[in-house]
Amino acid sequence: MDCTVLIVDDHPSFRASARVLLESEGFNVIGEAVDGASAVSETCRLKPQLVLLDVQLPDIDGFDVAARITGRPDSPAVILVSSRDSSDFGPLVSRSGARGFVPKAELSGERVQELLV
Amino acid sequence: MSTLTRALAMLALAALLLGLLAAAVIAGSDHVDDTPLAIVFLVGVAFAWIATGLFAWQRRPANRVGALMTWTGFAWLLNAFVASNSAAVFTFAVLASNLYLAAFVHLLLAYPEGTLRRRLDRGLAAAVYALCAVGALPILLSGLPACERCPSSVIQLTDSTAAGNVGDVLTTVAAVVLAGTVIWVLAARWRAASRPQRRVLAPLLWSGIALVALVAATLTSQTVSGDQVPGILPLAGQLVFAAVPFVFLIGLLRGQLAQADAIGELLQRLGEASTGDLRGLLAEALHDPTLQLLYWVEDGWVKRDGRSADRPNHAYTPVELDGELVGAIIHDASLEPEALALVAAAAGLAMRGERLEAALRRSRARIVEAGLAERRRLERNLHDGAQQRLVALSLQMRIAQNQIAKNPERAAEMIGAAQEELTRALEELRELARGIHPAVLSDRGLQAAVEALAVRSPLPVKVVEVPGERLPEPIEAAAYFVIAEALTNVAKYAQANSATVAIRRVNGHACVEVRDDGVGGADPGRGSGLQGLADRVGALDGSLALDSPPGSGTTLRAEIPV
Repeated sequence: MDCTVLIVDDHPSFRASARVLLESEGFNVIGEAVDGASAVSETCRLKPQLVLLDVQLPDIDGFDVAARITGRPDSPAVILVSSRDSSDFGPLVSRSGARGFVPKAELSGERVQELLV
Repeated sequence: MSTLTRALAMLALAALLLGLLAAAVIAGSDHVDDTPLAIVFLVGVAFAWIATGLFAWQRRPANRVGALMTWTGFAWLLNAFVASNSAAVFTFAVLASNLYLAAFVHLLLAYPEGTLRRRLDRGLAAAVYALCAVGALPILLSGLPACERCPSSVIQLTDSTAAGNVGDVLTTVAAVVLAGTVIWVLAARWRAASRPQRRVLAPLLWSGIALVALVAATLTSQTVSGDQVPGILPLAGQLVFAAVPFVFLIGLLRGQLAQADAIGELLQRLGEASTGDLRGLLAEALHDPTLQLLYWVEDGWVKRDGRSADRPNHAYTPVELDGELVGAIIHDASLEPEALALVAAAAGLAMRGERLEAALRRSRARIVEAGLAERRRLERNLHDGAQQRLVALSLQMRIAQNQIAKNPERAAEMIGAAQEELTRALEELRELARGIHPAVLSDRGLQAAVEALAVRSPLPVKVVEVPGERLPEPIEAAAYFVIAEALTNVAKYAQANSATVAIRRVNGHACVEVRDDGVGGADPGRGSGLQGLADRVGALDGSLALDSPPGSGTTLRAEIPV
């Protein structure tokens, strides 16, 4: 298993924890981004297989970022994460083009794998 | 006597002398049949115009309508000199005999502001002046007879009547076109006018349209009065012209009487116990349904519902009471300033009452908005603070769990770090809960809560006096948050060495005072914190005052009735 990952979150503590967690479970974290604009540009540059994307970002939100980076055959899989629950967002998650949603506190390699299959 | 009054008196004297001279010229004329009638008509109408013009001028010196009416009267008086037996005077009088029409059209186009504001109006007025200046030339230059016994023109160039006839036709066509344009412009102005504007426009505008229409057909035959028997159209035109000053004066008088009546009624109704709809009363008194009221609250304009309004940018009249600005009446630009001044004076007291309501509504709206902002802030703080720490903690525990079998030492390290993270998350939650409502205040009262605030403050704070007994809960809470905000501001901005806090009961009030020895010069408008406190204290009928001279420390005082 050598899935390449871009982590997008404005909180450094989450990025660091998520990196350690995913790497310990066999993912290859190839980059990090702190806001929506750099998420879009880093996705184009690094071409990750998976983007772990926080919903609440300082500029544009995760749903808009997901809409921009998905939809093409070579687009990465997008998994939205948030410290809120998916029920807070209603149908926004399913409309965004993302594979799914994982609450931050429940993030694990296993949950990510389930959504990628 | 002011300079203006003196100048107007001189003009009146000049009119009198010119009128006497005109009467003498007509009386001695050998080509005017009914001299008494001609004197009465020509000189009388001129005097009516000039007198009305001077009256309007005196009444509104800044508005040029009066000057234009006076000018029209003088221009009309020039007609009298057509009766002169001198060929030269006769010639120039005939040449100028249409000038009064141009002056009248100028007045119509400039009415009621007194200035030609649009380029179209200026161009039209200039064209009418030009045409009236040359209108009589075909007769004077050619062999056309002005009248049977008239003196002959001193500028006659040819005996041919054909050239004169051609010129006459051309000027008539031009006159009809111009008259049509003037009527079109005036009708458009009527259509665009508001109700109060129409009341002002009506007398002059309609007599103007009638006269221009009559003149359109008969301009050229107007060039000579003399012994020609005038047709019914020119006579009607001249009668309309003669009536204009009287129509104007009657309109003015009627307007003023109606206004006085309406203002009397307004005063009576304002005196009655409850008015309810002040705007409606003022709109009725001034016959301006578009009238609006704005209130001056603290340092901005608000509507009656308490929402902020833009600064009035068109016609408005400030309303003051005892020298204090209370509000403004936004009204139609054509309303009489005198009537507005009377209404504004009468409305002061009632408007002050409504202003209090508007201020209360504004303060209420601000409290609701502050509540919403507070909830947003709490959500943000929870999300960015404790929630993030707990998320990180959850991830760390998961990583540690993965490590237990493979690397027990690393797992133990991570659990230690997680313990620290948990302590910080708890501290943040405690801080947040305290910001929502300090438990110690409810449980132990103001003294314990204020002492806790003093201990947590980064600089030494001395609590000098707090009432031993409990106060009603809303007052304790307001006092607590005044002190908490004041101490936060002292720590952030005052560069103080120490602060003192006191809460005293004086004359049925809880007086809260926070004093520091810092740099002073605090700006009451800084941030929303102080405004929020003022609203909170104001909701309990209390007041908040900031005293912060530069270099002498800052004192924040709140007085809340108990």
